[in-house]
Amino acid sequence: MSLAARKLSVSVTSRRTGPIIARHQSKLLAGLFPRVGPEHRLTVLEIGPALPETVEFFSQFRCRLHFLDLYDEPFLRDQQNELSEKELRHRFEEQFAFPEGSQLDICLFGDFLSFLNDRALRAFNSALRPWIHPETRAHGFGVHHLAVKLEHHQYGIIDRDNLSIRSRHSDTMTYHPHSQVEMADMLNCFAFARGLLLPSGKLEMMLKPKAV
Amino acid sequence: MAMFDKHKSSKQPPQREEEPMVTRQAPSPSAPPTTSTPSKVAMVGDGISITGDVNANSNLKVEGRIEGRAVSSSQDIEVAESGVIKASITAKVVRIAGAVAGDITGSEKVIISSSGRVQGNIVAPRVQLDDGALFRGSIDMNPAEPAQASKPAAAKPAAEARPASPAPKPAQANKPSAPGAKKEPGLTLKSG
Repeated sequence: MSLAARKLSVSVTSRRTGPIIARHQSKLLAGLFPRVGPEHRLTVLEIGPALPETVEFFSQFRCRLHFLDLYDEPFLRDQQNELSEKELRHRFEEQFAFPEGSQLDICLFGDFLSFLNDRALRAFNSALRPWIHPETRAHGFGVHHLAVKLEHHQYGIIDRDNLSIRSRHSDTMTYHPHSQVEMADMLNCFAFARGLLLPSGKLEMMLKPKAV
Repeated sequence: MAMFDKHKSSKQPPQREEEPMVTRQAPSPSAPPTTSTPSKVAMVGDGISITGDVNANSNLKVEGRIEGRAVSSSQDIEVAESGVIKASITAKVVRIAGAVAGDITGSEKVIISSSGRVQGNIVAPRVQLDDGALFRGSIDMNPAEPAQASKPAAAKPAAEARPASPAPKPAQANKPSAPGAKKEPGLTLKSG
């Protein structure tokens, strides 16, 4: 590879993910698509890398997919504990530079929320709030105590009921367990639509905007 | 060198050195050999660097480096594993195995293969991402209708693009920045 290509590959710095190592049959995922018909145009935010199965799945819809792989962002990986909530919010706002007027229909968080400390979670919530609307739905996983081991996984959508699980090839970030009550308090633009405790100890969550 | 050359037949053509940009008759890789129709492929060879815009009326394969505002073709564009493009790309089918920084519009399809690295926004009816491909940006898909080359997201490259026409005029190469680059039918260069 040429030097120029190497430089460019660094700027597209998502770490490579491994092959699919497991599938997760989700009882909540289908709830993301209750009113979606072929004429509907979806706007989707995925916090994580673009995975082939996710792109393939959404290719059946008219859609715009925003992939934001924040896991390797230095402000979260290295500076999360030093930055103030305001500074963190600004960093998130810089990342959420969606086209003006965009409204997210679906947010896919994966395990991301569990890698945010309290300040970062509140900052994430504040930065995301302008982009959601009353019909927005979000899906993700949470851990509520440190006894639950959080592997560094990425999730892709195979179909409405199945997620792929892949290992992520990067150092595991420190994770910050939040109970459902803490999560609901800090991620306060969303309310829990449904939660499901999985055998692994993780909590699978379906979120909807909190009624104002 | 001469002592080795004397063993060569005088009728043997001189060994071709690197040919940076050529127009070749090449069969379409996806079509079966028995039914394939040879199609022209304009090529930016490995080691060649172009600064400026590139507009092709034939298929375009990029093994070198292009840096500018727009790279467009009325046919397909392939960025080989060694290829680097820092510009927006517009074509029917865009295949990327190399590195691209810029927005991509494919009126039929965009394919990022496992070695591909893309930073930019994609507009296409269909997008295929192979395992291992790296992509950062947004994907705008509409499986129901082909992406319009004149969509606002791709306004600049579309303005440079020449839509396929029944009898396209052979394009003239402008001033290529790469030494040794020569004018080829179907390929237009605009220095940046």
